[in-house]
Amino acid sequence: MTVQRYLSAAAVSIAAALVLSAASTLAHHATTAFYDSSKKVEAQGKVTKFVFMNPHAYLYIDAPNASGTIVNWQIELGAPISLKRTGWTPETIQVGAELKVVGAPSRAEGTYGICCARITRPDGTPIVAGGRVTEERPEEQKEKK
Amino acid sequence: MKATRGCAAALLVAFALASRPGAQSPAAPDNIPDFSGIWDGTARARPVNSDNVPWTRGKNFPEVNERALAYMKVFDEAIAPKYDCQPATPPAIEYDPYMMEVVQWPDRVLFRYEKDDQLRTVWLDGRKPTSLDFSLQGFSVGHYEGNALIVETTNFVFDITGFDDYNGIPSSSQKRVRERYWRDGSDLRVTVTVEDPMFLRKPAEYTTRWIPGPKGYRLSAFNCDPESARASVKFMPAKYK
Repeated sequence: MTVQRYLSAAAVSIAAALVLSAASTLAHHATTAFYDSSKKVEAQGKVTKFVFMNPHAYLYIDAPNASGTIVNWQIELGAPISLKRTGWTPETIQVGAELKVVGAPSRAEGTYGICCARITRPDGTPIVAGGRVTEERPEEQKEKK
Repeated sequence: MKATRGCAAALLVAFALASRPGAQSPAAPDNIPDFSGIWDGTARARPVNSDNVPWTRGKNFPEVNERALAYMKVFDEAIAPKYDCQPATPPAIEYDPYMMEVVQWPDRVLFRYEKDDQLRTVWLDGRKPTSLDFSLQGFSVGHYEGNALIVETTNFVFDITGFDDYNGIPSSSQKRVRERYWRDGSDLRVTVTVEDPMFLRKPAEYTTRWIPGPKGYRLSAFNCDPESARASVKFMPAKYK
């Protein structure tokens, strides 16, 4: 086995671990009824609210929609009781912080929800030093493999 | 008054001792299998629940009757009680991907589930449910059989997602759940068997496991917030107007 293959195997292992951790935090309900995982949407703007309550934490940001109008996006995260074990706290995200969110858009017409999102600072750097900051969909992880 | 305070203090101390992670209850008999401690049922231990887990099509998916199919057809995800913080019940609660604590006392076994702060008491003293004992989690009795704990639960109330909330399969007050717990090395395993003549043509069952919880871990309060539980329901296209 070449070094490259070793690295690939390691990457797959890490990716698998991330899939598992992400799935565990999204396990209160199925997401397919709410979000279209075949699509991707991006929102970048200032945080208006961060609700760190079980069964799901929610992040709210003011950001433009597809037509350029500023709307309040609701981003669904995992259960705080699980997120806490990966380094998240109610203070992880502060109101007013500028963030970039990429994830699956909500299905109902006229709604602005995002699930299973990658959340970073606008330059792509993580928001939790040394901790996991993404909750990617298992399908995404499979694609990466 | 002093005696009452003394008794209360003794009870608190006893529960604190029995609740120590990984600790055997000091009052538990020696000749029973040790299931006590914190158990990890998250994705580290097993695949996360979904519409095909733990009930898998082509394998152990329940054979439901016409009544169940009718309920499943009209089922609307928005009505699922979990969006109002109603907890999962057997046979779903055993598969929730969270931590669980088991405490063994001489006359009962306590199953504490971190999700939704649920406590199930399994009575070992021979008591029977009365007509007043119907509840969401039912009434559980049990006994040890060799190295296993057998739990029989009845007296459930009707629950629109009481068999499986991912497929909208209901359960009735005739639901009976049998659980067999045993140790497999460091793992805790269970086989859950469900009968419900109102909705199932024949019993259905799955087997799963927990791994030992993180060292020193203590269950946290879940304190389900109804607003957060229902916050994403508006993202589903409405099935009914």
